[in-house]
Amino acid sequence: MNRIKIMKEPSEKKEIPASAGRIAVQVDDLTVAYNYKPVLWDIDLEIPEGVLMAIVGPNGAGKSTLIKSILGILKPIAGSVSIYGKPYDQQRKLVAYVPQKGSVDWDFPTTALDVVMMGTYGSLGWIKRPGQKEKKAALEALEKVGMLPFKSRQISQLSGGQQQRIFLARALVQDASIYFMDEPFQGVDATTEIAIINILKELRKSGKTVIVVHHDLQTVPEYFDWVTFLNVKKIATGPVKDIFNDDNLTKTYGINYKVSIQE
Amino acid sequence: MNSAQIEIQLIASLVAIACAIPGTFLVLRKMAMISDAISHSILPGLVVGFFITQDLNSPLLILLAALTGVITVILVERIQKTGLVKEDTAIGLVFPALFSIGVILIAKNANDVHLDVDAVLLGELAFAPFDRLIISGVDVGPKSLWVIGIILSVTITLLIAFFKELKISTFDAGLAASLGFSPALIHYGLMTVASITTVGSFDAVGAILVVALMIAPAACAYLLTTDLKKMLGLAIIFGVFSAISGYWLAHWLDASIAGSITTMLGLLFLFIYLFAPNKGLIAVIYREKQQRIEVSLLTFLLHLKNHSEERERHVNHLQEHINWQKVRAKTVLELALKNNMILIDNKIVSLTQKGDEFTSKAIDYIITNEDAQIEDMKDDFFLFRG
Ligand SMILES: Nc1ncnc2c1ncn2[C@@H]1O[C@H](COP(=O)(O)OP(=O)(O)OP(=O)(O)O)[C@@H](O)[C@H]1O
Ligand SMILES: [Mg+2]
Repeated sequence: MNRIKIMKEPSEKKEIPASAGRIAVQVDDLTVAYNYKPVLWDIDLEIPEGVLMAIVGPNGAGKSTLIKSILGILKPIAGSVSIYGKPYDQQRKLVAYVPQKGSVDWDFPTTALDVVMMGTYGSLGWIKRPGQKEKKAALEALEKVGMLPFKSRQISQLSGGQQQRIFLARALVQDASIYFMDEPFQGVDATTEIAIINILKELRKSGKTVIVVHHDLQTVPEYFDWVTFLNVKKIATGPVKDIFNDDNLTKTYGINYKVSIQE
Repeated sequence: MNSAQIEIQLIASLVAIACAIPGTFLVLRKMAMISDAISHSILPGLVVGFFITQDLNSPLLILLAALTGVITVILVERIQKTGLVKEDTAIGLVFPALFSIGVILIAKNANDVHLDVDAVLLGELAFAPFDRLIISGVDVGPKSLWVIGIILSVTITLLIAFFKELKISTFDAGLAASLGFSPALIHYGLMTVASITTVGSFDAVGAILVVALMIAPAACAYLLTTDLKKMLGLAIIFGVFSAISGYWLAHWLDASIAGSITTMLGLLFLFIYLFAPNKGLIAVIYREKQQRIEVSLLTFLLHLKNHSEERERHVNHLQEHINWQKVRAKTVLELALKNNMILIDNKIVSLTQKGDEFTSKAIDYIITNEDAQIEDMKDDFFLFRG
């Protein structure tokens, strides 16, 4: 099944060369540690503009850590990151981020609409407050992810998949060029997963770069055109059709994945 | 009311507001214990400040003591970061250490220092009006009123300016950082405000009441609203209410004002904990009961939908067919009738069209878990809430 889908990919990929060539994200010699214990070792990574890329690797491989370091949330002990050739600090407005689900306080007194509005804070900068324009953008994003009926709901009263859609809407409202999403499919049902991946594919079509931490290896060839294998070190990065193979899977996960992939 | 009474209530109210604002964010950040730590560990800062300035209301003393508060937070975080102990343990290590340094400093200099531990812990609001601020011979009011007034103005200005930043860094520090709002800066800003407020208030109301005024009103408000602005507003109202009612309670009982205000805060929290419309204990119990009834109703409607034989739909026989022991059949019948979902004709129950549609929709919802279609049903039925 999946083999066939891999074969199909190239026809869809014809749009990419148009925007390819520029490097959206460049990571050089990145080493990140928690309490002096390195969890990412000497990572070099180039993400071309306009790809829909999966980051795969086992639990604790450092996938979230990699994204957080690219976004300046964590300070690396060595190495550097650039977004379109400049440090992240100068390129903030080009980047949107969907954190892994556990990282926010779901009991916080705030509504779905309010959370989506937070996506506009970055372009507002310090002190300035969101107004009608920001609210309109947030409502549009909610509409896009099918969550408009829930706009006034307190966020803890949403199901896991709905919460994930709210996060996606918050990233959409940032209107960025590069999207980082940490496990957007975690705990969502098949319908929501398809809805989300369609939005991501749409983003790529409009020339955006989308980077997604992904756990379901089965769907990698179907959803993504680019992939990075990570396990403390970078194992491989490149087009799915070239490098998504048993060899790299085995190197990353340490067990033979051949059987499960071909199923 | 004489002017001293008015002044006392005014001071207590301003302290309540000044505490409720940082308190709301402390509660949301699950850092209630930090305010306790700050309130105790500012003691050495106060003592040293007092040696230098000889004036409990001097701005320098307030800043020195607030600095000790921020140092406490930093120490707690340092110890926690080693990964050897949890936050509560770190707090338990830091503040007794700093507090005891303060106590020793006072004891060593007891002869020439006009400061005692009791006053620090409990404060004495009743005496606040006697310490007056005189500017070129004119009495402009109690010193502590000025101190807390200035602190409150600064707090409100900061709150208005950085509301958005406080909100996002409290809710989602990762996003805040990625958008360029330094969560660390906001964190230490909040800790500084909390420390300054603690120092500025405790002279009037004491360390224990400061903690109560920071945490209790915010905790009450948290039970009542899902909107951050309303939570702040409610916390302020509860704080002021407790301050004023506590004052009169003390007046009536001839007891300590600080103690009475704390008592009022405790009673208020108990009341709200029991009676809050959604999160309150009674509401939760009531909701569970309603849900039980509604599940029975649905079972009953489904039974009607599935059985066309009259025998199955006779009022007297319903008891045998459905598990009625848990809920009285009467309640369910009444609920169904009230909602025009059934008709009873000659003791034979049948579904109305509305009842039929409702049942299909409800079953559909339970199976598919698709929320959007039944949004409108939620107000009628607890079953579909959450
Ligand atoms: N705040 C932290 N302090 C100390 N160690 C941490 C911290 N966060 C993560 N780690 C460690 O760093 C390593 C990488 O964590 P990371 O969250 O990046 O993994 P991940 O690949 O995203 O895993 P998952 O698939 O479970 O989300 C893990 O070994 C983890 O235990
Ligand atoms: Mg992760």
